[in-house]
Amino acid sequence: MRPRIVLSYPDVYEIGVSNPALQILYSQINDATTASAERAYCPWPDMADLMRAAGVPLWTLESFAQVGECDLWGFTLPHELSYANVLEMLDLAGVPLLAGERDGEHPIVLGGGPAVANPWPLAPFFDAFFIGEAEDRLGALVAALEQDGREARLRTLAAVPGVWMPGRSTGPAERQVFMGFSASQPVLRPVVPVLEAVHDRAVVEVMRGCTAGCRFCQAGMWYRPVRERPVDLVVAAADRLLGETGCDEVSLLSLSSCDYSGVTEALTRIRELRPGLRVSLPSLRIDSAAESLARFAADQRGSVTLAPEAGTQELRDAINKGVDEAQFDEAVRATFEGGFTGLKLYFMIGLPGETDEDVLGIARMAGAATRLAREIGKGRARVSVAVSSYVPKAHTPFELEPFAGEQVLRRRQQLVREATPRGVRVAFHDVAASVVEATLARGGPGTARLVEAAWRRGARFDGWSEHFDVRRWEEAAAATGIGLGEPGVGRPSWREAVDARLSEGFFADEVERSRAGEPTEDCRDGACGACGVCAGEIGMDLIA
Amino acid sequence: MSWWLLTFSRRGPARYLSHLDTQRVVQRTFARAGVPIALSQGMRPKPRLSLPLPLPVGAAGDHELAVVEVPEGIEVTTATLKALREASPPGFAPEKIVDAGERHPRPQPRAAEYACVLDGDAGALTAAVERYNETEVAVRERVSPKGTRRLDLKEYAGDVVAIPLGGGTEVRFTIRHRSDGAARPQELIDLIAEWAQVEPVMRGLERLRITWE
Repeated sequence: MRPRIVLSYPDVYEIGVSNPALQILYSQINDATTASAERAYCPWPDMADLMRAAGVPLWTLESFAQVGECDLWGFTLPHELSYANVLEMLDLAGVPLLAGERDGEHPIVLGGGPAVANPWPLAPFFDAFFIGEAEDRLGALVAALEQDGREARLRTLAAVPGVWMPGRSTGPAERQVFMGFSASQPVLRPVVPVLEAVHDRAVVEVMRGCTAGCRFCQAGMWYRPVRERPVDLVVAAADRLLGETGCDEVSLLSLSSCDYSGVTEALTRIRELRPGLRVSLPSLRIDSAAESLARFAADQRGSVTLAPEAGTQELRDAINKGVDEAQFDEAVRATFEGGFTGLKLYFMIGLPGETDEDVLGIARMAGAATRLAREIGKGRARVSVAVSSYVPKAHTPFELEPFAGEQVLRRRQQLVREATPRGVRVAFHDVAASVVEATLARGGPGTARLVEAAWRRGARFDGWSEHFDVRRWEEAAAATGIGLGEPGVGRPSWREAVDARLSEGFFADEVERSRAGEPTEDCRDGACGACGVCAGEIGMDLIA
Repeated sequence: MSWWLLTFSRRGPARYLSHLDTQRVVQRTFARAGVPIALSQGMRPKPRLSLPLPLPVGAAGDHELAVVEVPEGIEVTTATLKALREASPPGFAPEKIVDAGERHPRPQPRAAEYACVLDGDAGALTAAVERYNETEVAVRERVSPKGTRRLDLKEYAGDVVAIPLGGGTEVRFTIRHRSDGAARPQELIDLIAEWAQVEPVMRGLERLRITWE
């Protein structure tokens, strides 16, 4: 019988249906394996309450089958504040929360996605984790499901490269890298939502990985090396996708699409094929923004987001965000000269080595942008600032740096608030949510008790400000004895589960360079930083 | 440019679409079928299409109407309808297209007939419907962010019939559309259910017919 797989994103449909990873897995499992894949998302709390009251278990969207009856239930885990939703979904499906309490009647629960960089906070709830990019391994995962019985399936699954199985694996799983990315087709027949999704457009992934080397950025480390798709393939895929989906906008997706070697040619050719089409390039880099914005300005309007990340040159050098004041000024000018009427600046506070002077620099940069908005935008242009709290993440150079903590973050938010010029709207990320995120991001074995205790106290949809209630987490912390937001970690326990292919020596060098304020070159066109990823068949795959 | 009148049915999973989602489905169905829709002018051009009488969320309906403007030179053919049908999502089915010419036809609804099933005491529901038909005034309050509006349902909803079925009571009624607006099906059902002391939950709400001016 055809193995039945359910794929889930632990948030509501409107968020989860836009997730590109789930679209890739859904498409490949259904098109290229012997298994069938269906989807299930996390119902909003009022719906979940009704389902419990009526005794209706979680079902799949395609066939309305009970999720708990599938062979394998795969979760893409996006971030720490989604963890309570995983427990909510398991419970709604009638699947025991603890893997050890499941039997042959229950699905194998498999976690993947960027948050498995540190799987410990969810380890007891999952039968297995897949570390890295799964495209090459789907056949092996499905083959494991063709075994008879749960034990045989788990045993076979444990042997698949990239699989880490709590309590069964004897060492860390090596992060899998899909080196066939460049030659492979993007998803050409995606699920098209009939409800408005958070990213309601056609998506062509043009590049995977980023080598800019920002020392705080987990994605920049996790998805190495850089691999690019040829322009011909990108253009043909965009054209076909627009026809298949009926969308009127296409996104050329990557971690830093302006760095894609074929960006100008791809933009030009897509616009020739589809005049008037909106093309979005997520993640503009400031050092190349002026040129990119000039390319956009011809037929794009609206707002632009730029991410200087830190308020002074010293701190930007320390985090390896290679942006200087002149580049920032040029990018802001290009924004307003290009006719864009909104500019959003994105900063972080709580970065390692940060001082009050660095924080006040955020207000100075906002002020400088506001003056240019008035001068060039002639009153129509607006500047807003978003300030989030830095949370150290596993498998980054800053993985062992201290978390700034609640008091410091609140004081620095106040500094920014008081120093920012009038007329600039400033939004801050909820510090309490960052404290929970920081606790889980580097939490070791045992942190799962905190997640379960918080969920049992009603925690769910913690990424949504209207649902997040830190008191549930504080009560859970008191009940489990696990401190919230403690500054340091004793040891990088995530390395016992995950080998991200990044060398510890590279991280140590990066920390030293950070303290000395020294940049590290982008290895795409500069010296190799010896991060450790490129080895054997794994290496950069560029089109130019 | 010319205006097309597209009639369609919305059933099955598509009945849970909101008004804006239904508009998006029409827009994307045209795009997938390769039939262009004219765009508005301005900084952010929008497709020129409208649904003159949106269906409530959860309601099914046949012969629903969309008004769509298409660029010059696009003609209605049998292939057009076939392409639209093939490009439609589950539950949404184009039925007919009529070219209404160069001027917006501005269709105005006069009345719409509905049917739904209510659970609970069939005798009480029949009595509540009789009471409604006999009463002269049935004022209800409509509360919205804009304020509270008093509405005499008798001016907007009539021809109410209760038909006991095996698994519930079917209630049929007509909503009249006037220059000052219309009642919502739920407002009438809330009143009937209150009088009958049953849950005001409409099962299988369906719009049976629309009368256009």
